[in-house]
Amino acid sequence: MFLVTELIALLAANLILTQALGTSTLFIAAGSRKNLVGTAVVITIFTTAGSLAAYIIQRELPEKYSYLTLLFYTLSVGILYVILLSALYFISRKGFEKTRKYIHLSAYNCAVMGTLFTITEKAQNDASFMTLKSFFLAGLSSGAGFIIAALILTAAYRKLNSAKVPASFRGFPAMLVYLGIISMAVYALR
Amino acid sequence: MSNSRSSVFDGLLRENTVLSSLLVISPVIMCGDTLRNAEALVYAFSVITFFSVMIASFVPKKLPYAVKIIIYAVISSLIYIPVRIVTQEYFPGIVARIGIYFPLLAVNSLIVVQTETKFFRMKKLKMTFSLIFSILGFDAVMLLTAVIRELLAYGTINSKVVDMHTLISGLGMPFGGFIFLGLMCGLYRKIRSMAGYEDNKVRSEENVSGN
Repeated sequence: MFLVTELIALLAANLILTQALGTSTLFIAAGSRKNLVGTAVVITIFTTAGSLAAYIIQRELPEKYSYLTLLFYTLSVGILYVILLSALYFISRKGFEKTRKYIHLSAYNCAVMGTLFTITEKAQNDASFMTLKSFFLAGLSSGAGFIIAALILTAAYRKLNSAKVPASFRGFPAMLVYLGIISMAVYALR
Repeated sequence: MSNSRSSVFDGLLRENTVLSSLLVISPVIMCGDTLRNAEALVYAFSVITFFSVMIASFVPKKLPYAVKIIIYAVISSLIYIPVRIVTQEYFPGIVARIGIYFPLLAVNSLIVVQTETKFFRMKKLKMTFSLIFSILGFDAVMLLTAVIRELLAYGTINSKVVDMHTLISGLGMPFGGFIFLGLMCGLYRKIRSMAGYEDNKVRSEENVSGN
């Protein structure tokens, strides 16, 4: 029962299905199992580590300089981007060659930047949310939400790209309509 | 000549930024439900993207891919600051209503992906025109979507009441945005195939594989 409740909560707060963040990346991720795993892992790392950076920025940045939030988020994601690429490069050259495209794809993705701004907005509306743990968990659940949305799309990916779908609607258009229907179902859960 | 000319217009017609490449679709889905939102987003997107890409074109090409992308994102984040101030002046209340989608415009795919995969592979003049038409491609879809969704969902156009007997309120919701954009994509493809253009997958992971 706990798992079902958690799953419903993850779906209801899903950034892709409720806020359309990172939709085009999701289409790439859902294309193959390899892409799904690679993109989902990297996006989760970015959203989680980025959320920790967002917490520090929110805590240290004075209110009067709030217009600089985007700049600081961009810089922090940039730093994560370089750290992740460098770490991967020094750990395994082969792994670096295989994985770097997912890092490039995920760094300045709407799913990542959108997560940081969504969490910030939440913290601004609810002071009790302004803790490192809350930011960390919110970042982690955003990544998990991306994985769930990608799995939902992967389940129908072949059919939405099959010859049975009219040529004009095959692929992206059908996937958008499909996501719309799933989003409608998720809307009912909220 | 004709090839070169058609490629300059690609972002608007043949390879529309939103309908074909599926770039910058979140604001269209989430905020493209009223003309007032769309006007503010079109203005912000156009100014931020144009100036960011133009300034970013002076960044040395020899830098590593990741470093260049970070610099482009920082440039657009800096341009975002005055744009936000002007938007608050001319579209009061809109920045709050658009919420997180406003700053997200500054890290849109046209700036952080298409610069390296498309624009900076062109000569400056051609790049400028191609960029303008790619921006116009987004603007056109955003405005068209907003007009139709506002009319059908709320029975208004630019907040002015229109005599509509049946409203589809779901079109004003995110799921309505997904479905409407999907239908528009399909229609766009149909028109494109009737015009004789081959259907090709524009955005793939190869586009962002980096160097």
